[in-house]
Amino acid sequence: MDFDMGENATRLRRTLRDLIKTHVPGDFLGAFTDDPADLEVAQRFCRTLAEQGLLCMSWPAEFGGRDASVWEQTVVREEMWAHHEPRGAQYMGVNWVGPIIMRHGSEEQRRQHLPLIARGEVIWCQGFSEPEAGSDLASLRTAARADGDGWRVSGQKIWTSYATMAQWCFLLARTSKEEKKQQGLTIFLVPMDDPAIQVRPIRAMLGPHHLNEVFFDDLKVTNADVLGPVGGGWSIVQDVMSFERVGIARYARCERLLAAAPSILGDRWEELPAELRGRWTRMLTHCRRARLLAYRVVSLQSSGRIQPGDAAAYRIAVTRLDQDSAEVLMEIVASVPRGDASTEYYRAEVEDHWRYSQASTVASGSIEVQRMLLSRALLAAS
Amino acid sequence: MILDLGSEAKEYGHEALRAFETAGGDQLLQQAEAKPDTREALVAPVLDRLGAWDLDPRVDHDGREAAAALCRSAGYWALPYPVAERLSRPTDLDLDGLVVVAGDTPEAALAGMQNRWAAVTLGGHRSRVVGLSAVGPGFVAALELSDIDGQGAGDGAGDVALGVVLPCWTLLGMLDRAIELTIAHIRLRKQFGQPLASFQGVQFQLTDAEVERTGLDMLAKYALWSIGSDDAIDDALALRLAAIEAAEVVFRVCHQLHGAVGFCDETTLSWLSRYSQPLRRLPLGLSATRDYVTRRLGRRALTGLYG
Repeated sequence: MDFDMGENATRLRRTLRDLIKTHVPGDFLGAFTDDPADLEVAQRFCRTLAEQGLLCMSWPAEFGGRDASVWEQTVVREEMWAHHEPRGAQYMGVNWVGPIIMRHGSEEQRRQHLPLIARGEVIWCQGFSEPEAGSDLASLRTAARADGDGWRVSGQKIWTSYATMAQWCFLLARTSKEEKKQQGLTIFLVPMDDPAIQVRPIRAMLGPHHLNEVFFDDLKVTNADVLGPVGGGWSIVQDVMSFERVGIARYARCERLLAAAPSILGDRWEELPAELRGRWTRMLTHCRRARLLAYRVVSLQSSGRIQPGDAAAYRIAVTRLDQDSAEVLMEIVASVPRGDASTEYYRAEVEDHWRYSQASTVASGSIEVQRMLLSRALLAAS
Repeated sequence: MILDLGSEAKEYGHEALRAFETAGGDQLLQQAEAKPDTREALVAPVLDRLGAWDLDPRVDHDGREAAAALCRSAGYWALPYPVAERLSRPTDLDLDGLVVVAGDTPEAALAGMQNRWAAVTLGGHRSRVVGLSAVGPGFVAALELSDIDGQGAGDGAGDVALGVVLPCWTLLGMLDRAIELTIAHIRLRKQFGQPLASFQGVQFQLTDAEVERTGLDMLAKYALWSIGSDDAIDDALALRLAAIEAAEVVFRVCHQLHGAVGFCDETTLSWLSRYSQPLRRLPLGLSATRDYVTRRLGRRALTGLYG
């Protein structure tokens, strides 16, 4: 066994931390706030990463990447999420939209989309969930009907993150009714500036830009906007899921915030109830556990030996960690009087973490779905 | 990064599983419970044939992995023998094994054993075991100790790290078995005309147990790899903390899903559950371990992986 990520990964972690320190303001809480300056920070940071060849380093060299190892990719995921994802929404383009277009896109689609993503100049949103199709995604109703040399799309998406700022949508729609609901689905790459698309933000405790409704009213799209084969959308969705198996490195932010607590609190740390400090210790072990389970998924995936249950166990552990650690951190900051300047930013970080963590067991495949996947794997294997 | 035991260690673990089964499997524990002073005679010959005492878990990485695999297999059968503790023997003392003990109430599952034992506290104070009380549940006896020195935590490969980590592998093997037995039971047992496994309420409890077991598996591997490093004791204690917590969840779930039959001695779960107790309570139970680790960490977080 060897749990050392290697010198390249260590050096990359240092580089990323230096870049964040230099280019991201000390009070940054992510790109999705009511202050447009935060979005600008993320846009600039993406361009900085792109200039240094760090934005798409996981991509193959032929598409402008560096063929980075899975462990270097892991370091990027960890450092970005630990520091409030200063890439903003563009992590989606880098993590899976680009790679999916590489795998399934036409030459024209690759030429059109990949350079923009690689330069950090475009934001994508994902048009999957609908009011009647959440965990049961294949039940979606947004329909595309053939119309001359293209298609007309009508329907509604919901919970669509970043739709207000996105230039493109990775849209899943039904193009035919077949025997199985997973058949007859197709992916479209849709420009968001079309007047037939209306975006309605949903105010939520998560903060602005995270949740939106998107309405498609007879949107005209061409055959050139279809990604992969017509009716082949479900297998592309499975590919998207495989890129998102590890997903955001939630454990990294939990661990950074927990590790910082004693020094942020100063002398107050020793005055905390012993029971609360015990819970802090417990969360540290749970962070380590989630991190190791993530590494296991990365390792299994890179060797092609991954099973659905492997990723599910990790996701259950990490989403629960997100919420449990948030509760502990909220109690810790509650011990400090409001208005204390030395802890103001930390308190804001913790409160932001708590708000966002509430969605962790719902977003990107609910914890119930993960449990179904894991129990199915356990019962099938025996 | 290589996140799994080497193939030789894994094969050794499988060989040990088969050997313990051939030697009597679950019967070994039942026989030992009836006559604790036969533990050595029942189990030692199998371990000798497996070459267990030729393993060197302190300095040899392959030997350490093989030792861990052996402990896991011993846990699977709830082997009535302190395999992990024998493998943790100090190399600088002429003794046969090592147990980690609480300073004020030293106890260990050594009843019926005739070997010469060392004891070490979590703080690294070493003693010689010079007497055992009468046997209690789980082969636990109070220890009478005679001081040796304070060298148990002197370096990363010291007695404390190894003495904490290897028994966690034994406990992990017990959790493997408990979950395996539970899956078999819920697939077989029918209620309301359906196997228990078809009920989502049952499935979801099973996943709670499996998340604990899988997480413990990774922490055990990490702490094993860490032996010899500066963080070895912190990593061992983090593992220990997670192991006790995992065992609580897994055994609670497994008992619940077995129903009443799980308490009966005709089921292996009843034996596993009872004999997991010394591993879960000694040297310190969940709250005391958490308290100890918290005081030890002070203002530090766990380092290592976080960089």
